[in-house]
Amino acid sequence: MTREILTLRVRRDGEHVLLEAPSVGHFTEAVAPGGALLAGAKAGVLITLGRAFDLVVPQDVAGVVDGPVHERVHAPVGYGTLLYRLRPLEGAGVAQASAAAQESKGAPTFRSPSAGRFWHRAAPGEPALAEAGDVIETGKPLGLIEVMKTFTLVTYQPTAGLPARARIVRVLASDGAEVAEKAALFELEPA
Amino acid sequence: MFRRLLIANRGEVAVRVARACRDLEISPVGVASESDFGARWLDCMDEVVCLGPSASRESYLRMDRVVQAALQTHCAALHPGWGFLSENPRFAALCEQHGITFIGPPSSAMEVMGRKAPAKAAMRAAGVPVIPGSIGLLTSVEEAVVCAREAGYPVILKADAGGGGRGMRKCFDEAQLRTAYVQAAAEAEAAFGSGALYLEKYLEGGRHIEVQVMADRFGNCIHVGERECSVQRNHQKLVEESPSPVIDAATRARIGGIAVRAAQSIGYVGAGTIEFLRADDGSIYFMEMNTRLQVEHGVSELLSGLDLVKLQLHVAANGRLPLAQEGVKFAGSAIEVRINAEDPSNGFRPAPGTLAAFDFPRDVGPGTIRVDTHMQAGDAVSPYYDSLIAKVIAHAPTREAAIETLLACLRRARIEGVATTLPLHLAVLDSREFRSGTYDTRSIPGWPAATR
Repeated sequence: MTREILTLRVRRDGEHVLLEAPSVGHFTEAVAPGGALLAGAKAGVLITLGRAFDLVVPQDVAGVVDGPVHERVHAPVGYGTLLYRLRPLEGAGVAQASAAAQESKGAPTFRSPSAGRFWHRAAPGEPALAEAGDVIETGKPLGLIEVMKTFTLVTYQPTAGLPARARIVRVLASDGAEVAEKAALFELEPA
Repeated sequence: MFRRLLIANRGEVAVRVARACRDLEISPVGVASESDFGARWLDCMDEVVCLGPSASRESYLRMDRVVQAALQTHCAALHPGWGFLSENPRFAALCEQHGITFIGPPSSAMEVMGRKAPAKAAMRAAGVPVIPGSIGLLTSVEEAVVCAREAGYPVILKADAGGGGRGMRKCFDEAQLRTAYVQAAAEAEAAFGSGALYLEKYLEGGRHIEVQVMADRFGNCIHVGERECSVQRNHQKLVEESPSPVIDAATRARIGGIAVRAAQSIGYVGAGTIEFLRADDGSIYFMEMNTRLQVEHGVSELLSGLDLVKLQLHVAANGRLPLAQEGVKFAGSAIEVRINAEDPSNGFRPAPGTLAAFDFPRDVGPGTIRVDTHMQAGDAVSPYYDSLIAKVIAHAPTREAAIETLLACLRRARIEGVATTLPLHLAVLDSREFRSGTYDTRSIPGWPAATR
C-alpha cells in the first residue's frame, strides 16, 4: 500500500538543517536521534483526520538527527512545529541524482549520478526500491549508491529531457553492480 | 457545558468568542496562520495551533487541518466566528462527523439558506414576503425575459451562490437583460463555480433592516430586535444601529415575528440573522439569512443586555433559551461604526501597516462606549485578511445621545500609522441626513460620492 506523501518544510539555522511539520496532525514513527536522513527518505508519519501521510525529506537535505527527542508515540503538531534538527553528515555528498542527457537515439535512460556500487534495496531482505513496470515521478527513490562506505539515496530527477512521469522498462544495473558515473541504470518510457 | 472549545477564526471575532468562553469557564483554543502565529491577540487563548501559510485557503480555510487541530487539543466544540468556514455546511458536517459540536445551525439549515433560490423558496413556503421575481433558478434567457415582464423593470440578476456584488447585473429593459444574462452567468461561474442565476425586481434604494434571532434545540426561538445597516459602500456595511429610525414598535413586532417564523420553518438552531429590504413605500421583503453570528451583533447586545455569544454556546450545549420573547427588553439606542484599515479619501484602498497609536477614549458621555478589537498600538495590520480592526459601539438612552457619545469618542480617538475609515465616520455621524435618519443604501450620508 502506498501512502500519500507530504514533504517536510526545511529551514536552515547555521550549519543545522531544521525540518518542520508541513501540516496539522499527530506525528509518529519518528526517526530517533543518531539516524541519518537523506533526500527522499521517509521520516515519520503524520496522521490528519485518520489519514496517514508519509513525511519525506526534501531535496538537497542530508544529515544526522540531532534532536529533538519525541517522547510521545503520537505527538500533536501544528504547521511549522520543529520535528528534526539535523547536523551535517560527515563526508557524505548528497547525490543529486540527476541524469545526464539521454542518448539521441534509443530510449530515455536514467543514469548514475556518481561512480560507486549501485544497490536496489535499502537493506538486505527489503523489497527493491524500483522495479521494471513501476511508474516513477520526481523524488521517487530508485536505489542507493555506495561510495567509500557512504550510502546515498538515488532519487528520480527528470532533468535533461527525461519525462516528469516515467515507467521503468528495464533495470540495467544489477543489484550491487559497480557502476561508473553516468552509467545507465534504468531504461524508461514516458508514462 | 464544554470544557475546551476551538475558535476557528482570527482577529477581533476570535477575541470576542474567547471572552465569552472565559465567562463560561470554557478553555479557548486558537488557530493561526504562519503570519498570525505569535500575534498579541492570541494571548487570550490557552493554546494555539498553527494551521499553515498566510494565505487563508492554506490555513483558515483548510477544513481538515482545523478539525484535526480541534481533535488533537481535545476540544469538544468549535466556534466558526463569521467569514471563513462559518457558513460552510460541509465543514459543519465534518465537525459533527468527528464528534465536535459545531456552534451554529444544523448543516441542513445552512444548506437551504446558503443558496439564494432554495432560501427564497423556503421563505415563500413559510409565508414570508419575498421580492417578486423568478420562482427558483432561471433555466434560459427566455424564462428571464418572461419573469422580468411579470415583475416589471428594472430587474436585477443575481448569482445563486453569490455574494459581495459579483454575478449581479441591473437591467432596465429587455435588450439589457439579454446581454447581462450571459455576462452574469459567466461571472458567477468564474467566481462561485456555479453559473446559476435568479431574477428579482430591482428595488431602488430602500433600507437594509435585519433581525437577530436565537433558537434552541427544543423549538424555542426569540428575536432580539432589528438592526439598521443602510450606511453601506458596495454592499459592505459601515455603520449599524438599533433601533432603526424608520421602524416603529408595531413594525418591530411584526418583522420580529416573521423572522422567528422563518427560522422555525427550517429547524434553525443558534444565532442567525434575517435580512430584509424595506422599500420606500414601507413594504418589507426577505433578502437572505445569515446562518452565523454577525459582525454587528454587539449593537443588539447593548440594546437587550443579552450576551449573544454566550447564548450561542448555551444552546449548542443543549441548553434551553433562558428567556421567552416577553423577557427580551430593549433599552435606548446603540450605534456601531466599523473602523477598517482602508483609506476612504482614496477609493477605500486597503491600508495595511503598523499602528503607531491606537486608542479610543471611554471616558465620554452621555452614554457608554464599547470597543471590540484585537489590535493595540505597535501591532501590524495584516495585508492577508479582512481590513476590520475595531468596532466602536455607543449606547445611550436616545439616538441623539448615542450619536453625541460616539462622536465624542471618535473625535478624541488616536489612530496613527495606518489610514482608516475614522474620518468617514466623523462625517457621517455629524451629517444632517444621518441625524434625521433620511438616507438609503445608495449613498453614504455626509460623504461626497466622488471619493467613494
